[in-house]
Amino acid sequence: MNTTASRLRHTTLILAVLGLLALLLADISITTRDPGIELAHIGNGFLTPDFFSTEKLWQALGYTLAFALQGVAVGSAGGFLLALLWRWRAVRAASAIVRAIHELFWGLLFLQVFGLSTLTGLLAIAVPYCGIFAKVFGEFLEESDRAPARALPTGSDAFSSFWFARLPLVWQHMKTYGAYRVECAVRSSAILGFIGLPTIGFHLETAFRQGEYSTGAALLYIFLVVILSLRLWLRPVLLPLWLFATLLWAPPQASVTSGRLIRFLSEDIVPAPLRQSQWQWSELADWLLKLLQEQILPGVGQTLVLGMAALLATGILALMLFPLISSQFGHRLSRGAGHSLLVLLRTLPEFLLAFVFVLVLGPSMLPGILALALHTGAIVAHLCGRFTDTLNLRVDAANGLNRYAFEVLPRIYPNFLAFLLYRWEIIMRETAILGVLGITTLGFYIDSAFSELRTDRALVLIGAGVMLNIAVDAISRGLRQRLRLRHGLTDQN
Amino acid sequence: MFELHQHSIRRQGVTILHEIELRIEQGEKVALLGPSGAGKSTLLEALRQQQPLRSAWCPQQGALVPMLSVFHNIYMGALDRHSALYNLANLIRPMATQWQQVEQLAAELAIAEKLRTSVDRLSGGQAQRTALGRALFSQRDVLLADEPVSSLDESQGEALLRFALSRHHTAVSALHDRELALHCCDRIIGLRDGRIVIDAASQNLRIQDLNELYRRR
Amino acid sequence: MSKRLMAAVVAACMCFGLLACDPATPNKPVLVFSAIPDQDEARLIERFGKVSTYLSEKLDIEVRYVPVKSYAAAVTAFRNNEVQLAWFGGLSGVQATQLVPGSRAIAQGVEDPRYVSYFIAHRDTGIVAGDGFPEGLEGRSFTFGSKSSTSGRLMPEFFLREQFGKSPEAIFSRVGFSGDHSATIALVQSGAYEVGALSYQVWDKEVADGTVDTDKVQVIWTTPPYPDYHWVIRGDVDATFGEGFAGKVQRALLELDDRDVLDAFPRQKFIPATNDDFLPILDTARSLGLMD
Repeated sequence: MNTTASRLRHTTLILAVLGLLALLLADISITTRDPGIELAHIGNGFLTPDFFSTEKLWQALGYTLAFALQGVAVGSAGGFLLALLWRWRAVRAASAIVRAIHELFWGLLFLQVFGLSTLTGLLAIAVPYCGIFAKVFGEFLEESDRAPARALPTGSDAFSSFWFARLPLVWQHMKTYGAYRVECAVRSSAILGFIGLPTIGFHLETAFRQGEYSTGAALLYIFLVVILSLRLWLRPVLLPLWLFATLLWAPPQASVTSGRLIRFLSEDIVPAPLRQSQWQWSELADWLLKLLQEQILPGVGQTLVLGMAALLATGILALMLFPLISSQFGHRLSRGAGHSLLVLLRTLPEFLLAFVFVLVLGPSMLPGILALALHTGAIVAHLCGRFTDTLNLRVDAANGLNRYAFEVLPRIYPNFLAFLLYRWEIIMRETAILGVLGITTLGFYIDSAFSELRTDRALVLIGAGVMLNIAVDAISRGLRQRLRLRHGLTDQN
Repeated sequence: MFELHQHSIRRQGVTILHEIELRIEQGEKVALLGPSGAGKSTLLEALRQQQPLRSAWCPQQGALVPMLSVFHNIYMGALDRHSALYNLANLIRPMATQWQQVEQLAAELAIAEKLRTSVDRLSGGQAQRTALGRALFSQRDVLLADEPVSSLDESQGEALLRFALSRHHTAVSALHDRELALHCCDRIIGLRDGRIVIDAASQNLRIQDLNELYRRR
Repeated sequence: MSKRLMAAVVAACMCFGLLACDPATPNKPVLVFSAIPDQDEARLIERFGKVSTYLSEKLDIEVRYVPVKSYAAAVTAFRNNEVQLAWFGGLSGVQATQLVPGSRAIAQGVEDPRYVSYFIAHRDTGIVAGDGFPEGLEGRSFTFGSKSSTSGRLMPEFFLREQFGKSPEAIFSRVGFSGDHSATIALVQSGAYEVGALSYQVWDKEVADGTVDTDKVQVIWTTPPYPDYHWVIRGDVDATFGEGFAGKVQRALLELDDRDVLDAFPRQKFIPATNDDFLPILDTARSLGLMD
């Protein structure tokens, strides 16, 4: 058929076939003998939260917010400056590389140089966020209307014309996006606790790993309350005050000796064969080849398998969940419940979901796929559901499944696919870090390299991850352009 | 068939329909005329609410799903005649029986060769034929149409409107072409500012009477 | 407006609250030590809390224990001089002494020169302890402890390779890393993995504490002995804390006879150690490709 829908259908079919293939290849067995028992323990923990078992809770919460706010402040300032130079290819490439590396890996890298310090926490968020902000701000400016700037009197200097005719057009978008990013940063900051920084994730990991689910549940509840109430107390006007408070309380500092930095650059990250035996290039080739065969290729393969399977599951889940919040279906009560469910699912960091699923289902790919699909699926469903609210259906439109399949789905499908393809890159990024939980993606090998204190290998593996991410991003962008899907969505990434 | 008594509608503080008194009997072919904003679409909607199950509905807004083919858009008129699963199967792959029925109708609407094309790739006229096709395919007694032929030229528009009217024993359609209304319909209702200012058989009306409706005050 | 004002007041209160628990440390020299997180954190904090009390009395300076999340983090902290003293396993100890010139092993438990690992299996596997290496391991799922653990990974992998002549991935259907010894017990007990390897001491202590369901999981093999845990101190502590400080710390550890502290490890007592005691571990790590 020569329809717009059929082109979208072809792309969907290809992605779905790839996803099914990935599911066939993926190891998705449940390996625990009694998953029900552990689930019951966890459930019991959530019913009986223990708010008084972690003494350093408030301190952990303080650090979580401090790293997040400082990281976003530095990241957005840096990203803004880079966005001004967005037409330079080098800037775009640098920001792509920087944001392709997960916060957790930035954290592990900075740990080598700055130790367990507040500076490590700040930089682990600021650096990747700088790349993300640069891209988003850069695209805002790129897509904004240039007519006001052209209408200025000829001879107006570039500086004034930027402040008067370019920035005001995108300022509101930037603010909205920044607020969304603060929420993400609090999640990222919490996750940094998993590698030893003193945020709330530190205690969460301990509690869940040791089966103290009442403590874990209490921590999770507090974390949820903090994130969900963020918009209430983190008002834009108060932002400088909060930032100042965190700077006073946890000034970014580290007992850095220049020696440590030099050591990091001249020893730690130099490939082992070069370090040991006087620049033996042939040995370097062997070293790289071995790394490629034993870790990079299997790691990339597993990452792709997990990523594609998770993408398929995300898509299916999003299509099932969005009617819950759509004004085209249900009633006020059902939509309220739907909103609560989606908020809950997308507020929980996927890393944490995966962690719990590993406990319950055992170490296969299943926990990773489930966690990624639930988290991302809820986000895509939220975006789709909100989009359906703008649809004006005819008054005699069918109800139920007919309404869904004939009236709503075809109309939102291009947007759905755009949301999903945007998320693809992020799914791949998160796939890599599930390796830290023992799922053998690229991240597993990166984590192993760090735990063997081999920063040189870690860096090569991270490089491979960056290339994979950039490739996926390029494919996704190509597909979006080919399908002429809408671009420039503010609440992405 | 339809009866409105002292019928008023206010939206966001603006009165759109003002104490409408109206009876439409079975078998009447009514044209609704009036300048834009007079309340024609709102009146049509009020009528539809009186006979939701007997009305074939052909609105201006959101009439068609742009992504989907002409076949699917026409087929949507029949969604209530089949089970949801049967409909879903036809969405994925049209069945031969359904295809034949839709094709037959499309041939009469002169869009048979566009059956596989999606609506967003049609001209305005073709899209209107499709929208009318969807209403016709719902196979109901009463046609309620809002500017169904506005994108077609006069002769095509008249042929199409006559065809649509012939398939329903009762019809109310909002039109802007006064001559078309006089030719095709047997009763004219003129609206202005939410009130009925003309209500007469078309044989008793001249084009000048109708022009009065649109004159600036 | 009043809403804004209230928010400002709340924010200000929070600031003061945060300032009140300022984490900045006073500027006296503090001996900071850490340990590999080989067990439940609660146990570690209990054990090393006792050690820091003992050491600060004995050395007459403030001694603080910092918990870390991974074996590598312990070594990195030691390398970065964030901790000056550490209780390492065999592998992490040689990693540390290799990375920090001048650092040296000063003490080990009386049991540590002849440490062993246990292989444990879920009852349902039907694998039981017998004379020699157990039958029926191939094709099972298997979990190590931490990737950098000596008794939970390095030596078990060494003995597995010796036994089968191939890598663990080739022997077992699935190979995982639980993270620590307690987690290994929990995972094998729950059936997430069928077989696992861990430190005999953690097993014995948890069995004695009654936290293991021995109806579900049991020991199937004991490895030959090898050297393991030891205290390592940085070479530059004498410059920071005064001449002969490393010697003082060593004496304090060797003189430790408080049963309460020793039982928390658990060790009978501490005896002297040198870097050379752990050369076999270094060789093994290199042969398995875990160190360059």
